[in-house]
Amino acid sequence: MKFRSNTEAQKIEPQMAPMIDVVFQLLIFFMLTLNIVEPEGDFSINMPINAPSNATQEKVFTDLKIRLESTEDGRLKNVIFGQRPLGNNIGKQDNVFARLNAEIRKHIGSPTNPFRKDMRVIIDADYNLDYTYTVKTISACTGKMKDGKLIRYIEKIEFAPQRKPAP
Amino acid sequence: MRFKKSESNVLDVDMTPMIDIVFQLIAFFMVITNFENAKADERVKLPVDQLAKPSKATNTKQIIINLGYVRDKAGKKLSGPLVFWQTGDNIKVDQLQTYMKLEAKYYNDTDVDMAEVLVVIRADAEFPTGLVQEVMKVAKTAGVDGSGGFEKFSMRIQQKTP
Repeated sequence: MKFRSNTEAQKIEPQMAPMIDVVFQLLIFFMLTLNIVEPEGDFSINMPINAPSNATQEKVFTDLKIRLESTEDGRLKNVIFGQRPLGNNIGKQDNVFARLNAEIRKHIGSPTNPFRKDMRVIIDADYNLDYTYTVKTISACTGKMKDGKLIRYIEKIEFAPQRKPAP
Repeated sequence: MRFKKSESNVLDVDMTPMIDIVFQLIAFFMVITNFENAKADERVKLPVDQLAKPSKATNTKQIIINLGYVRDKAGKKLSGPLVFWQTGDNIKVDQLQTYMKLEAKYYNDTDVDMAEVLVVIRADAEFPTGLVQEVMKVAKTAGVDGSGGFEKFSMRIQQKTP
């Protein structure tokens, strides 16, 4: 009896082409469904929950009050730091939040000031004010980005009891 | 003259490394897509700020409160300010108390200290600040029998890469 000797021709070659097709399809599908979202974060600030306690003599010096006035439709009308109005300019030039940031910086003195951690900002915002301005104010109080590094200013931020909405 | 058989000249492309890489990529994209925050509501357009840092809070127990508006495709508001609750209900802020009390009762019944629960507030950039404060007030006073409430808050902001 005679056997066929060329058995190596029987080896089955796996078909690569359709597999690669499918794999590329999958790859493109996942690339398209992936929507790139900027990550979320917070300011890691200390927000004491109690209503602002009666300021003791010692606390008066460390409390900074920021009043945010809004227009009826929620835009920023005025920022008042302590007693000083800082205006409402939020454009690129002479930004009110940049000025607020500079004022806070002046109040702290140097970032190594030992009292810095005890300092407290109380934000008193109008009811209608858009949340984004409140966030910008908090941002201006928390610190500043310099050469890609965060310099911390204030770490305690509180809200004054909310104002009732205008009737 | 004799010519060499030409079919032996065909270069055999090695497919194995290529398939390896492609599978790696697929696995990567699958993992990435699944990591998106499941409870984050895409209707909420968070305020953006450069100073936002990834949250350091390590609390495993979180209540996420999404505050925002129903909008059309152009971003025009179609509703008043709403709370998008986790269960899919859209409720008004003054109805939130009932829901928060239920959460508080749940934590109370399961012996979890409410101070360990982080309340994550994801508020829309155009949400009125007064209402955000209202939400925080509701959370602070949600305790059973009016005693205590949630104490830790995280206000979410979208990071901006400069």
